[in-house]
Parts: sequence; C-alpha cells; structure tokens
Amino acid sequence: MKAGKPQTPNPKSQSEQLRETARILLKEKKADLVIGYERGSSKRRARPVVIRDEKDVGRLIFDDTCGPSLVPFLRKTLRAAKDRNSKSQTPNPKAVTPLRVAVVAKGCDGRALVQQIAEGQLKRDQVVIVGVGCDGIADQRRGASGEKRAASCERCRYPNPPVYDVFVGEPVEVGTGDEFAGVAEFEKLASAERWAWFERELAKCIRCYACRNACPMCYCEECFVDQTKPLWLGKSAERPDTTLFHLVRALHSAGRCVDCGACERACPLGVRLALLNKRLEREVRERFGYTAGLSMEATPALATYSEEDKQEFML
Amino acid sequence: MSDWEPKIVAFLCNWCSYAGADLAGVSRIQYPPNVRVVRVPCSGRVNPLFVLKSLENGFDGVLVSGCHPGDCHYISGNYIARRKFATLKTALEFIGVEPGRVQFSWVSAGEGEKFAQVVARVTDDVRKLGPAKRLVKSAEAGRAGATLQQSRGGGE
Amino acid sequence: MSSSLRIAKPDLDELVSALTSRYRLFGPVDVDSATMLREVKSADELALGAALDGPVKAAFFPQTETLLTYDGTRSEAPPGRDKPTAVIGVRPCDARSLLLLDKVFGTGKYRDPLWQRRHDDSLVIGLGCSAPLETCFCNSMGSGPFNAEGSDIMLTDVGDAFVAESCTDKGERFLKTAYKSQVQRPSQADLDKAGQARSKALAVLAPAADYSGVKTALAKLWESALWDEIALGCLSCGACAYLCPTCHCFDVQDETVPGTQQGRRVRIWDTCQASLFTKEASGHNPRPGSKERMRQRVMHKFSYFADNFGETACVGCGRCIRLCPADFDVRLVLERVMAEDRRPKTGDRATKNEERGTKKDVRHAG
Repeated sequence: MKAGKPQTPNPKSQSEQLRETARILLKEKKADLVIGYERGSSKRRARPVVIRDEKDVGRLIFDDTCGPSLVPFLRKTLRAAKDRNSKSQTPNPKAVTPLRVAVVAKGCDGRALVQQIAEGQLKRDQVVIVGVGCDGIADQRRGASGEKRAASCERCRYPNPPVYDVFVGEPVEVGTGDEFAGVAEFEKLASAERWAWFERELAKCIRCYACRNACPMCYCEECFVDQTKPLWLGKSAERPDTTLFHLVRALHSAGRCVDCGACERACPLGVRLALLNKRLEREVRERFGYTAGLSMEATPALATYSEEDKQEFML
Repeated sequence: MSDWEPKIVAFLCNWCSYAGADLAGVSRIQYPPNVRVVRVPCSGRVNPLFVLKSLENGFDGVLVSGCHPGDCHYISGNYIARRKFATLKTALEFIGVEPGRVQFSWVSAGEGEKFAQVVARVTDDVRKLGPAKRLVKSAEAGRAGATLQQSRGGGE
Repeated sequence: MSSSLRIAKPDLDELVSALTSRYRLFGPVDVDSATMLREVKSADELALGAALDGPVKAAFFPQTETLLTYDGTRSEAPPGRDKPTAVIGVRPCDARSLLLLDKVFGTGKYRDPLWQRRHDDSLVIGLGCSAPLETCFCNSMGSGPFNAEGSDIMLTDVGDAFVAESCTDKGERFLKTAYKSQVQRPSQADLDKAGQARSKALAVLAPAADYSGVKTALAKLWESALWDEIALGCLSCGACAYLCPTCHCFDVQDETVPGTQQGRRVRIWDTCQASLFTKEASGHNPRPGSKERMRQRVMHKFSYFADNFGETACVGCGRCIRLCPADFDVRLVLERVMAEDRRPKTGDRATKNEERGTKKDVRHAG
C-alpha cells in the first residue's frame, strides 16, 4: 500500500500528454468529443468538461481532484445526441453516424466502462477510452488531512484501466495489502453494533440521491425508489426507508460495483455509504468468482449461475 | 411481551415448496402456526424487496423456499435465486439485521415432513431473536424514528 | 435603540440557556465531517466556526413533517408547539433566505399554518462571516458577510468573545430581558476587531458580480441550445435543492401501515431535478431530461420568483457549488446566460427545429 500524499506520477506531464492526446483524437476525427475534467470552482475541485474543439483541449487536467466518475456524463452525452437525432425533423446525414466519444478513464472508470459494455449498455466502438493511471483521489471531506486518499482509493487495486484505446502517462503501480481489510474490521462488530453504526451513519442521509446519480452503474431509466406500483419504500429521509434505499442500491450494485468511490465522494454530507458495497463485492468474488469490470464478454454474476454454487446457508 | 408470537411470512414456490407444505397439511403433520404463506411461481420470482418489505411491514421473520437445485420447474429459476439469496443474506447480516431472521430452504413436493421441520426451525430461531425492531416501520417505530426528526426540526 | 453587548466565549452558555428557556433552539452542530442544523441544549454542542452544510430552513420547514395522523376516517393534527423557535449561528445568507421563504409561506392570501407555527415569534441570532469561502457570492445577491437582514441579533466574533448587536425590536427585547444583570459592553478594542473582521471578510470575498441582466436574458433564452450544454454538467440529483436555503418545493405522501387503516400524511422536501417531479399519471413527463429541469431551476430562482415576489430566490450561499458532486457552478450559468443574450444572433433556425421535434416520453434521460 502506498503511503503518504497521493502523487500523480509527473503530474504536469500527464496533464500535458492528455491534452495532446485529446487534440490528436479530435484532429484525426477519431473522436467527435472528448469528455474529461477541467479545473472547477476552486484549485481543489474538478468538474466534467466536454471538449469539441481542438482549441479547447487546454482546459483538460488530470490530478487527485478528479473525483467524479465521468461515466454518467458519458451516458448523458450519448443519450442527448441520440435524442437530438431522433427529434430532428430535417434528417442530417452527419447525425446518422453514431457519436464517438472519447472519455478520460481512471482505472475504476475504465472498469465501469467495461462492465457497461458487458451489460449491453454501451458498444465498444462508441467510446474511445483514454486511460490514465490514477494514484488516488484526495479525501476532501472536512477534517480529512488532505494527505489521505478517499476511502475507495486507499484500497484500490485497479489504478489503470484494464481496457483502453490510448494510455496517457505511466501506469501506476498496483497497491498491495488486503483491499477488504476495512470490511473485515467491521465484521468484528456484533450484529447490534453494526446496526447502530449504520443507523448513525444513515441518519445523516437526506435522500438527495447524489450517490446514485454519481454512480457509473446506476443507469436505470426508472429507479426502484421512483416506482409506485408497488411503492417499495417511503420517500422521506427517515429510517427505515433511508436504510432500505442504501441496502437495495447495494444489492442492485452487487457484482457490478467497481468500488470507484464516486458515490461516497458525491455525498454532500460525508455519509460512509460504500462499506456495504465493498462487502458485497467480496461476497460475489469469493462465492461466484466474479470481479466486475474486467471482461467485456463475461456474464455479470447475478445474471447467471453455476450448478456448483455453494449453498451452505440453505436449510 | 410474554404472549408475543413470531409472525413469519413464507414465500413458497408453487411447484415444490407450496406442494410440500400442502402435503404436510394433508398428512396432518403438526407444525407451528406462525407462518403465513405467499405462493409464487418460482423461488426465482422472489425479489429481495419482498423480503425487505416484509420486515419493514412488521414480520419478524421471512422464509423463502423453492425446488431443489436441478428440479426447478422453470429449469434455472432456483439457481438464479440461490445467488440472490446469498447476496441478500450477506447484506442483511452485514448491516446488522440478526442472522436467522431471513432464511432459505429447498423443499420438494414430496417433503411434507421437511417443510414442517423447516417451519419449526425458523419459528424457533425467530422466537429466540424476539420481535423484529430493525428495519420495521410501524406507527410506533415511526414515532421513535421521529426523535431524529425532532432534532432536525421536524416533529412537534 | 440598539444595544451592543460583549459575550465572552466561555459565557456563551448563558446566552444559550436564556434561549432554551424560551425557545426550541437550533444551531450548527458537527456531525462527523459535515455541519448540520440540529436542536441544541447547550453551548458546547455548537460548531459556530464551521460553514453550515445543511440549510437553516430546516428549523422552520423541516425535511419531513407529519401533517396529520389517521385511523380509518378519523384524523388528528399533530400537537401544537410548546415554544417558539430560535436559531443561533445563522450566516447572513441563511438569515436572508428566511425572509424569502416567508414570502412564499407566510405572506399573501394563503399562509402556511405549519410555517407560521414555527416562524411566528421566532428569533434569529445571526453570526457574521469572518471567513467567506471561495464559493460564497452573497454580495452578488443583495447580501454580504455582515448583512443584518433577517437577523434579530447579530454576533461578530472578536477572538475571545462575541459582540452581540440587536438588529430588530425583537432582538433588542430579548437582549434586554435575557441579560438583566451583568451586562458587559464591548470595549473599543472589541469594536475595532469587529470592524477589522468586517473589512477582512469583504476583502476575502470575490468582488460582487453584476447579475442584473440575468432576468431579461432568461426571458429570451427558453429555446436556446445553451441549456443542452449547461445540463450536461449536472447529475440531476437533489443535493443542491435540499441544501439550498431558498428552495421550498415539497411533496405530500400518505404512509399507511399495511394491514391497517392507520397512517400518517407527511410533507417532505422534493426537488425539481428529480425526474418524478413532473411526471404525470399518463406517463408523460413535460420535463423529461436534465436540460428541461436545469432550465426550470434557473428560471424559477432567477426569473419566476422575481416576477412573483420581486426578488431573486438566491442568497449566494454557494452550497450548491461547494456540495455539488459534479462541482456545478450556478455563477457560470448566470454569466453564460448573460453572455448568450449579448451575442449577436444569426437566426438560429436549427435550434428551433430541434425544440419543435417530437418529444419522446423519456422518463429519466440521464
């Protein structure tokens, strides 16, 4: 496990290389747009940016502030283009060619893209994956020392995207140690203590759904929280409805979550909601031998089965 | 609370477990009366949200039962379900819902005796755990949960 | 006649006790890495130095409020209040927001009794902002780091103490009755420090931007393709709306205990950014995508509210920027809107064609 302040290997040159790569992609028409990060409302914040013109590539950056996953923004862009094409009354020959979008992908984002392809949500040729090695996003919650990485980044084992069209900068060395140590530590607590921890943590939740919307894998057109026939859970910010929301979202993400941490970083109030996701990631890996985001062809774990699946818990 | 009896809902697949329960009845096998049965076409039909809603609505325990692996009327429904059940059980126990509240079994159409044993076992486990309090949303729990709301500015 | 007192920080508890004996008191409380508004009973619970993440509106317009409970055909309103509400440590932006919310809930022909129940006779103890953040733009929205609008009493941090000044008759009355004995006046040094805090804050704050052109610009930009571009940077969650001091949309839900006829009717915060907000029973959604919803948010705050109530529904607190997961910046939207309005147009037919095309019923278009 790498200690100390996250250090993007040769940060200046990685951002510069990224800009050059983007410029070439646009110039050679290998991509219609580039989705990346630009400096945001302060020196320590980054926001998504859509670059359409070579002259704008200077806006692109990559460093430890690049926290949001760009995958939801990729989906929005592709969707907006599709909607525009279908709405247009004057058939535009150019619009018929599907949009090719280049997207800057950290290791986790790259895995999310692979998982989306595996789930049939994205076609491989729609996206030009601009891989970057990521040394972790800074933990920007108040009280964090600034030296620390965000929780998911501290335990990250996939700093480089497994699939990419072009790789910018140097690959980052993979961390060592047990990525599930935090989960194991939590499991030492008795049932009542675990419940108390979750109750306390989720008491802060205001049901804004920033976590869900920031998640690269939450792409349902109609989320279960919005279903009314039947109404699965109440819409207030009280428990147990809030607990149910997080529990079911974790279940829906089981075997699909790549532990990018975008959900936890998105939370405006610092709720530590990703621990449950991490536990389910371990379960799927140990029980079904599946890790999300590594293969574009493998069937996602919860969509298939093996006759040999363990069933020691069945009566 | 000495007169409290566990309320357990059982989702039974039509072709195996429901038939097995029926056989138990026809064979006059005695088993605890705490279980309310919901018949589903297949254990694979059981959405984990059914289990969670049951707990939220005040059931003290949930049983889901289907055909033995390999015997599913729809070939693979119970295999898919098995993966869902494992995941659900893990999630519930991780967040602190007591192990034993939600249980799963394979009971075939001919296993009347087994059905009775499963029900007895689950009822006993749930009785030992006491009435469900976590995840339950009753009018009472709503008021208890409202103490947070009080301090946040609600209530009164 | 306005009074000025010196309250040494160790003596803050005296102020808090005076408040809690008369009011239900709310103030900023640290909740792990966030600072939220919570009911407080003693001064040591307060986190006055930190920027408040949750909005002060929560004390008067809570996120979840039971409107009534029912059992069959019988219903019961919740019990009335025992004490009026007070809030301490309110920044000028949040204090001003209460005035804006009062225009919605507390004035006009129809007033909200729930709002009135909490807001009537309430006391607001403001706290001047000595250290504005990069995302603060209160000065561009008619307020400022030491603006007294909306506060009954204003506290200024002078290091080892607060200088408390009354800003309204209500505030004056409270200071007179709460501190009958042992009133300490601020020294000249205190007043100098207070003055310095004010100047420093203004120096730190970015210069006020001129957004006066926004409303007229917005009126012309309904069809503009600008909204498509702007909306791409938004995740359409509810963080900004829920944490915004002036957002006030809500939903009403009935929650019946299954198997019974008992339940409650609750009013909960809602957000126009949710796809479900405008979904109709037929399934049609007039705001199908984040573009329409983003446009709505900006129009409501900077155009419709101004039409209805004469003021912009924004106090420049900057929470929507600071706490947005995508670092969306409404200031940039306002600037772009004004810039777009100033841009010479070339007939823009293509944009109009796009808008007029058949709209699919897109339920949750990203």
